Amino acid sequence: MESGDAATAALPAPVPLTRRYPWLGGLSHFGGGMLFLWPSLVLFGGFVFYPLLKSVYLGFFVSDPFGHGQEFVGFDQYREVLTSPDFRKSLGVTVLFALYTVPTGMVLGLVFALLANQRLRGALFFRTVFSSTIAASVAVAAVMWLMLLNPSAGFVNWILGQFDMPRVNWLTDPQWRETWDSGPALMAVSLTTIWLNIGFTTLVLLAALQNIPQDLYESARVDGASPWSLLRHITLPMLSPALLFVVVVSTIIAFQSFGQIHILTRGGPLDATNVIVYSIYTDAFINFEYGAAAVRAVALFLLVLALTLVQFRFLARRVFYR
Amino acid sequence: MALVTFDNVSKFFGEVVAVKDFSLEIYDREFIVLLGPSGCGKSTALRIVAGLELPTKGNILIKDQVVNDVEPKRRDVAMVFQNYALYPHMSVYDNIAFGLRMRGLHRREIDRMVKEAGQNLGLGDLLRRKPGELSGGQRQRVALGRAIVRRPVVYLMDEPLSNLDAKLRVQTRAELVKMHRLLQTTFIYVTHDQVEAMTMGDRIAILEQGVLQQVGPPQEVYDRPGNIFVAGFIGSPAMNMFPARLQTRNGDVFADSEVGSFRLNPQQAQGATNASDGEVMVGVRPEHLYVGGDEGSGAVSATIGAMVDLVEYLGNEAHVTFSRTDATLVARLDARVKLKPAEIVPLTVLVENLHLFDRASGRRLA
Repeated sequence: MESGDAATAALPAPVPLTRRYPWLGGLSHFGGGMLFLWPSLVLFGGFVFYPLLKSVYLGFFVSDPFGHGQEFVGFDQYREVLTSPDFRKSLGVTVLFALYTVPTGMVLGLVFALLANQRLRGALFFRTVFSSTIAASVAVAAVMWLMLLNPSAGFVNWILGQFDMPRVNWLTDPQWRETWDSGPALMAVSLTTIWLNIGFTTLVLLAALQNIPQDLYESARVDGASPWSLLRHITLPMLSPALLFVVVVSTIIAFQSFGQIHILTRGGPLDATNVIVYSIYTDAFINFEYGAAAVRAVALFLLVLALTLVQFRFLARRVFYR
Repeated sequence: MALVTFDNVSKFFGEVVAVKDFSLEIYDREFIVLLGPSGCGKSTALRIVAGLELPTKGNILIKDQVVNDVEPKRRDVAMVFQNYALYPHMSVYDNIAFGLRMRGLHRREIDRMVKEAGQNLGLGDLLRRKPGELSGGQRQRVALGRAIVRRPVVYLMDEPLSNLDAKLRVQTRAELVKMHRLLQTTFIYVTHDQVEAMTMGDRIAILEQGVLQQVGPPQEVYDRPGNIFVAGFIGSPAMNMFPARLQTRNGDVFADSEVGSFRLNPQQAQGATNASDGEVMVGVRPEHLYVGGDEGSGAVSATIGAMVDLVEYLGNEAHVTFSRTDATLVARLDARVKLKPAEIVPLTVLVENLHLFDRASGRRLA
């Protein structure tokens, strides 16, 4: 205590900014704030707010092949695109894709982080390995998995062969069996995506784990907690802010995935992996229907926004912030 | 009966020795204080009892059972941590209830016990709050409540008062002593604060560099420190120490030093025969130095001339630093004694109040 007080007393009094930079004196409080904000406002304005508003605007027009609004159709195009069967299909694929990737990725990331957090010899090696995929680009990962999933020469089918299981045309078979709505392609793309994101998830959760004070565990152990109780009553609650962050971010990443789908399946087979983002790409840059693409983009934005708000609304209540 | 026994316990962290050949019997219902400077191994010793550290060598026994391999939760101990280690995401109620829940008690039983503990500690209105919304003193109470509610066989306390301000510390000190009397349970209390140790402990165990130096009731440790380290560590201001050489003249044994020549009484002379090479350290507590001659006291004493260096008035007393040749002496005197720096005064010590230590081994001779 005494030393703390002494340290405070020894600090020089803060010099008002206006004395150091007299020309700041003429600025109002608001002006001062804007001075600090303008760089990010310019960047966000140019690359986020303007394109967003432009997309909403473009949705009201049927465009020419160069992306210029040609004919004003009002909400007709919104209604038409959003009620079309192919939008509904791509919405379904997107939701399924998110359901495949987000929970699995989070559980795996948590398991890896818990393992890498053990104080064992070689833990540093595994920490590096588990978080290494964060350094892999989407293109590299997709090409790698393209090789692994190759029907005749791929490692995955070779493994299946070792167990006398039938080979799977991972990226081209539209259906597993008659009864299944989704084929192996969506799973293959999901697998690649999980692999891609696991490094990020592990890293975030590992950092959060290392921030939990050890004496909480010690206290709980003396209080009689079993390893399972420690996980449930100490680790998970203390991790909750990081878990919420990971859920929200990986959901957004899932809804925005493009590269791996483009390289692995191009939205096929039979639109089995045609997520909304990919359909935006097809509409805009294959079919040159910029207006329709803009509608899908706006829909995706609202969807992600709504989902994020819902996640915050319902999950944040269970989150404990220190 | 010994409740907790350290049987030749050693603990190494790699090359670092935390506790070395530590043997101590702690009795049922005793309030024992492990005292020592930071890094002396006292906290490690406590953590070994809790089961948070395994002894490298030796055994730790609770109720005559070796518990080296017993998990913390099966040892029936409760611990109060220095920074309290409250679960920040749980309410005060849940913090106190946690240990009971882990032991599978019935919900109604837990509710009764938590509310009772909350009532006793004056936490009644705070049960719904989170630790982050409490003051330091309140958090400390929650940490105590969490331990008390469990009714373990032994309470382990790791510097529980060190994060409190001075006033609250004195107040809580007294409350802990009362609590110990009320609970009739064993307390093992770790601190580096000798005032806490002196005021609270039934016995004090003093550690230095992982080695037990002395165990005993506070007064005994103060009056008869077992070695030079304990003599210097206990007591504030610290005991005055100066090297001396034993000489025998006309059948009497003298300790000759820079400060003066002291004729030892027969008891001291007897103890001094154990000194190696006749080289000793002489110690005298600041309160055993008087200003003035020894006329008429009748006791065997020695008077020396010393120069006043520094006078610190504390209101009820004054700590006066004297110098004599190369030696420095601190005396605790009545605040009404007015002394000026550079003044030369006679300083008297009763020989019976001298402590004698072997200079080579540091052990007490008399």
